[in-house]
Amino acid sequence: MMDEVKIIKLKESVLEDNNQDAQLLRDTLRSQGTCLLNLMSSPGSGKTTTLLALNKAFAGRLRWGVMEADIDSAVDANTMLEAGVPTVQLHTGGMCHLDADMTRQGIRALGLENAELIVLENIGNLVCPAEFDTGAAINMTILSVPEGDDKPAKYPLMYETCDMLVVNKIDTLPIFNFDKKRMEQCARARNPEIEIFYISAKTGEGVQELADALVRKVKEWNAK
Amino acid sequence: MSEVKVIQVNESIFAENDRTADLLRKRMTEQGTLFLNFMSSPGSGKTTTLVALINRLKDRLNIGEMDVDIESSLDAQRVADRTGIRSLQIHNSGLCHIDADMTARALLEYDTKGLDLLFLENIGNLVCPAEFDTGAHKNVTILSVPEGDDKPLKYPLMYQVSDVVLINKIDALDYFDFDLKKAKQRILALNPNAIFFPISAKTGEGLDAVCAWILDELNTIKSAIL
Repeated sequence: MMDEVKIIKLKESVLEDNNQDAQLLRDTLRSQGTCLLNLMSSPGSGKTTTLLALNKAFAGRLRWGVMEADIDSAVDANTMLEAGVPTVQLHTGGMCHLDADMTRQGIRALGLENAELIVLENIGNLVCPAEFDTGAAINMTILSVPEGDDKPAKYPLMYETCDMLVVNKIDTLPIFNFDKKRMEQCARARNPEIEIFYISAKTGEGVQELADALVRKVKEWNAK
Repeated sequence: MSEVKVIQVNESIFAENDRTADLLRKRMTEQGTLFLNFMSSPGSGKTTTLVALINRLKDRLNIGEMDVDIESSLDAQRVADRTGIRSLQIHNSGLCHIDADMTARALLEYDTKGLDLLFLENIGNLVCPAEFDTGAHKNVTILSVPEGDDKPLKYPLMYQVSDVVLINKIDALDYFDFDLKKAKQRILALNPNAIFFPISAKTGEGLDAVCAWILDELNTIKSAIL
């Protein structure tokens, strides 16, 4: 009798291991009363600017901290620190995403005890970060108006994975061809549950509503 | 004691890819086709720029275009509809980049003989595509004004591997805090040989200069065959 050949699907097993690890991290964080939010988008959609705007709108209602993941530079972490938000900069050494274990290391480095909310600002990338569960309780993606309304059609997994979609830079709607209805239809076709918010992190429009929704979600998660 | 053999998996993948890429590049040079790889973030305007360039050049040159996307065919359709040229949509089912082998396989389905110019529109991503040589003669990256002038600081490899940087959506400069001079300085610090073209694919501003550059590069390739 011939021995059976053992086939190992590497990509699947990597993702499976990560999924288990992410669930562990999520459980640990829940028992500590910490809500982890994974913030993803294209490069330049305004992740850091949105966090700065949210910090103002939180108005001290949340104990929170930020982990800035980048391939290089500490531009974003410095910006957040200047605004008085406890922040660590994570360098991925060229990697295109963060997984659950890297996130755990970041949370340790942040060392923020009793944090109600920790935001992971992921690498600017619509592909790879969507595949790796970081252990977050909330996945949020930003789509900025200049990027175009066709992004949900082109990067479907990102929109399937996210609980919240923030459409940013709405102050520039008059100068770009961005069809809100078309974008919403496409995103909802991928993910009927997705919650959509329209903001301009620059002018502050819509930011209060987003901040209030987040405060509510974080308190709910931590009370469970 | 026997020696432990260490295999650098990552390195060998890149070395293998580089060999395939070199072969592909040689083939393109020999048949007189200039092969350009366009990379950028999602939504920087790759398709709009390619459509505008193709429409400016199609009367003079025989042009082909390949579009890589995860699963939609929006871009290839858009290029075909708006330029009338033959466009090929490559679906890479979830992968974040295209390498030389995938490009070579796509070219089995797409006849490039007699083409003067072949465009590859890569996946919208500033990280992974920068790591894989596709076999193109030149890499072109687009940085659009709304993305901000700090992208070279955050995604350095993309700017190191790109020969040309198109700064797109300059018609929107008034709406964004984008410092053109700073962006250039940051890119030149990573790549002193980078060539810049400020453009607006929407209004057409600056595109003639890009066309002139393309024709120049094509000349270099054609004269190498003679």
